[in-house]
Amino acid sequence: MDPKMLKNKVYFVVAVLLALAVTLAACGGGGLSEEDVEERAQTLAAERMTDDTAMTEADVEEKAQMLAQTMVAQQMQDDQMETVGNRLQAVMDRGRVICASRNDVPGYGSLDDAGNNVGFDIDLCRALAAAVLGDPNAIEIRLITAAERGPTIQSGEVDMLVRTVTWTTSRDAQWGNYAQTMFYDGQGFMVRKDLGVSSAMELQEASVCVTLGTTTELNLQDFSNQNNLNLTVVTFEDTDALVAAYDSQQCDAFTNDLSQLAALRTALSNPDDHVILPDTISEEPLGPVVPHGDDQWFDIVKTVMGILIYAEAYGVTADNVPTEATGDTKVDRLFGLGGSFGQDSLGLDETVAQDVIGAVGNYGEIYDRNLGPDGIDLPRENGRNALWANARCTDCPKGGQIYAAPLR
Amino acid sequence: MSPSLTYKGVPVWRHTQVIQWTTQFVSGILVVVLVSWFAANMINAVQDREIPHGFSFLDREYQTPIGQHFLPYESSDTFLYAFIVAATNTLIVSIAGVVLATLLGTFIGIARLSGNWIISRIALIYVEFFRNVPLLVQLFFWFYIVLALPPVREGYVLADRLYLNNAGLSIPWLSVSGLGSSLGWIGLVVVAIVAGIVVHRWLVIREIRRGSAPDPLLMGIATVFVIGAVGWLVIALSSGTAPFTVSLPSPHGAFGRISDGFTMSGGLMALMLGLVIYTASFIAEIVRAGIQSVSRGQIEAARALGLSNARTLRQVTLPQAMRVIVPPLISQFLNLTKNSSLAGAIGFSDLTNVAKTMTQTAPAVSIFLMIMAAYLAMSLTYSLIGNLYNKRISIERR
Repeated sequence: MDPKMLKNKVYFVVAVLLALAVTLAACGGGGLSEEDVEERAQTLAAERMTDDTAMTEADVEEKAQMLAQTMVAQQMQDDQMETVGNRLQAVMDRGRVICASRNDVPGYGSLDDAGNNVGFDIDLCRALAAAVLGDPNAIEIRLITAAERGPTIQSGEVDMLVRTVTWTTSRDAQWGNYAQTMFYDGQGFMVRKDLGVSSAMELQEASVCVTLGTTTELNLQDFSNQNNLNLTVVTFEDTDALVAAYDSQQCDAFTNDLSQLAALRTALSNPDDHVILPDTISEEPLGPVVPHGDDQWFDIVKTVMGILIYAEAYGVTADNVPTEATGDTKVDRLFGLGGSFGQDSLGLDETVAQDVIGAVGNYGEIYDRNLGPDGIDLPRENGRNALWANARCTDCPKGGQIYAAPLR
Repeated sequence: MSPSLTYKGVPVWRHTQVIQWTTQFVSGILVVVLVSWFAANMINAVQDREIPHGFSFLDREYQTPIGQHFLPYESSDTFLYAFIVAATNTLIVSIAGVVLATLLGTFIGIARLSGNWIISRIALIYVEFFRNVPLLVQLFFWFYIVLALPPVREGYVLADRLYLNNAGLSIPWLSVSGLGSSLGWIGLVVVAIVAGIVVHRWLVIREIRRGSAPDPLLMGIATVFVIGAVGWLVIALSSGTAPFTVSLPSPHGAFGRISDGFTMSGGLMALMLGLVIYTASFIAEIVRAGIQSVSRGQIEAARALGLSNARTLRQVTLPQAMRVIVPPLISQFLNLTKNSSLAGAIGFSDLTNVAKTMTQTAPAVSIFLMIMAAYLAMSLTYSLIGNLYNKRISIERR
C-alpha cells in the first residue's frame, strides 16, 4: 500500500475513535431541542402548502406554530411512555419474560437429567412470568458469564437479571435496580483437606482460583491486603474451567460465595477431600436486578418477591392456594380475595398471588427444592436465610433475615 | 423529420471521470452517514438508558488483583496503569506468539514441500488438523494437557533451576539490580548492535572491493559481544554490582508456590501453545504458496550454478517468495493478537479479561472503547511495520 494512503487511513481511524470518545465524554443534551422542533415544523408546514400558493407568509408561520405545539406534546407523551408501563407492555406483547441467568451451578441454575434449566434463580424468573403472564413456563433464559452481567442489564435487553448477583452500591448505581435480597451469602474459601489449613488467615502466599468479573474477585484483594497474605490469583471466565483447575491443584484455594462453594464441591472428582473454611470474608446479598428507568417494572418485581416470602410466612404452599375467602384478612388480601395490596396500580391481576404460588410455590418451597434438602442441602433453619418471623406469631421470631415490604 | 446525424459526443453520465468522481463522492457520503449513524445510535442509547460513561475513573485506584503480569503491579495502582499492565500482557503474548508461530510455520511450510514423503505427509496432517479445529477447542485441549502435569508440590525439578508443574514453568531470569546501571547497560547494548551493523556493512563492502575479508556476519556479532561484555565489566567494577543479577526460582511459603526467577503460568503456557500451533498451520500454507510462486526456472538456474539446496532456498527462493508471503503473513499476526483475547477461558489475564473485570467498577462503554482503541493501535502498528517491510522487499520499479 502507498505509505501516504496508509498514513491517511491511520489518521482517519484514530480521528473517528477520538470523536466517539470525546462525544461520549462530553455528551451534552439529546433528543429534540426547541429550535429543532421549530425548524422541522416550519419545513413541514411549508411543504404542505407548496401547492396552495394563496397562503401568505403569516399563515405559514401560524401553521408552523400549531404543528410545533403538537410535536412537543407528542414528544412529551413519548417520553412518558418510556418511563411508565413500557416494559410490562413489552413483556405482555412478547408473551415471554427474558431473564439473564446461568446453567452451571447446581442449586442456582443447572441442567437436570431431562435437560431442563432448573434452580433457585430460574424459579424466581418463573415466578415473575407466572405473575405477569399467568404462565411460569413463558420464560426465556439468556445464559451469560459473570463478567457479562453488567453490560447485559445496562443495555436493557433482558427484563430481569437473576444470576447470583451481589448487591453493591456501585452496581446499583451503574447496572440496574436491585429488587429484593433473596439470599444472604458471604464469601469463603475451599481448600484440600490434606493441606491442613484450618483458617483463611493461613493462606499466606497461596494461589487462589477466582471467577472473572465477580465481587469475590474484588473482595479477595481487600482480604489479602488487610491480612498481608500476598495471595496470587488465577482468574477464569468460565466456571467449569475454574473447577477443573482447582481440582487438579493449579491453585491451592477456590474462593466464591459459600453457597456456590458448597454447590460446586459436589462437582469435584472427590468432594470429601475438600473442606470449606469457616471464615466469611464479605457480605453477599443476592437477588434479582431490573434495568434502570422503569419504576413500574421495578415495583412489580419487588412485589412478586414479596408474594413468595409472605406466602411462606402465612403458611400457604403450592398445594393449598386459597381460591375462596378464608376469613384470614392477611391471606385474603394476598390472594386477591378481599382488599388489595396495590395490584391494579402495578397493572397486575387481583389474583396474581394465586398464579405465582400455584405455579412455583412459596419462598420456602423454592429454597427446599433447589438449595435445601432436595437440592444442594444448605442448612436453612436458624440461619440468615430463615424467615424473620412467622406471620401468625410475630412475637416468636425465627431469627432469619428474609422478609419483604408488607403487602398492603 | 430525419434524425440528426450530428455527433454530440459521449453523454455526461458515461464520461469516465464523471463516473469515477460520482462513485467516489457517493461512497464517501455513505461511509460518513453510516459511521455517524453508528456513533449517534450509541450516544442515544447511552443517554436514553442512562448508561454510565466518561473517563473520570482512570485515575482512581483499581484495587483488584491481576493474575500473571509482566509489569510490576500493586492493587493501589490506578485504572489507567492497570489497563497498561493488561495491554502489556497482550502485547508480550502477541510478540512472542508472532515470532514463534512464524518460525514454526516457516519450518512446516518448507517441510510440506520436502521431497521426503513421510516429512511432507506429516506436515500436511499438521496443517489440516490444526487449521480445521476451532481455536477455543484447541485452547481447552492444551489447558487440560497443562492441568495433567503434576501439581506444584510434586512437580518436576531440574537441578533446582527449572520447575515444571501445572501452575507453570519457572526458569532463572535476570533481575534488575539498579535502575541506572541496568538501563545504562541496555543503552550500551543498543549502541553495540548499531556498531555491529556498521562493522558488518563495512566488511561486506570490503569483501566486494578486495574479494576477501573476515566473515562479515561473524565479525558483526563479535563486535556486539565485545562491546557488551566490556560495558558489563566497566559498570560492574565502577558501581560495585553487575547491571543484572540472576534470580533463581525456588519454592516459597507453606504451599510451595514457586517465586523469583520467571514463571510462565499454566494459563500462559496453554495460551502460547494454542495460539502458536494454530497460527503456524496458516503460516505454513502461506509460506508454501510463496515458495511455489517462484518459477522453477529460478531454482533450476541456481542448481546449474552449483548452489547447494540450503543456499538455493536462502538466497534464491525465499527472497522472491517473501514478496508473496509478507502481506497475508501480516493478517495472521493480527489474527494471533486478536485471538489472544480468548485467554480468559483458560486463566490468563490478558487485556480483554482484565478490562472485563474493570467493567464491574467502571463504565462498560468507556472500557470497551478503550479495548477497541488498544487492539486497533496494536494492529495498525503491525500493519505499518509489515507494509514498510513489504515496500522494501517488493520489486523496484523504474
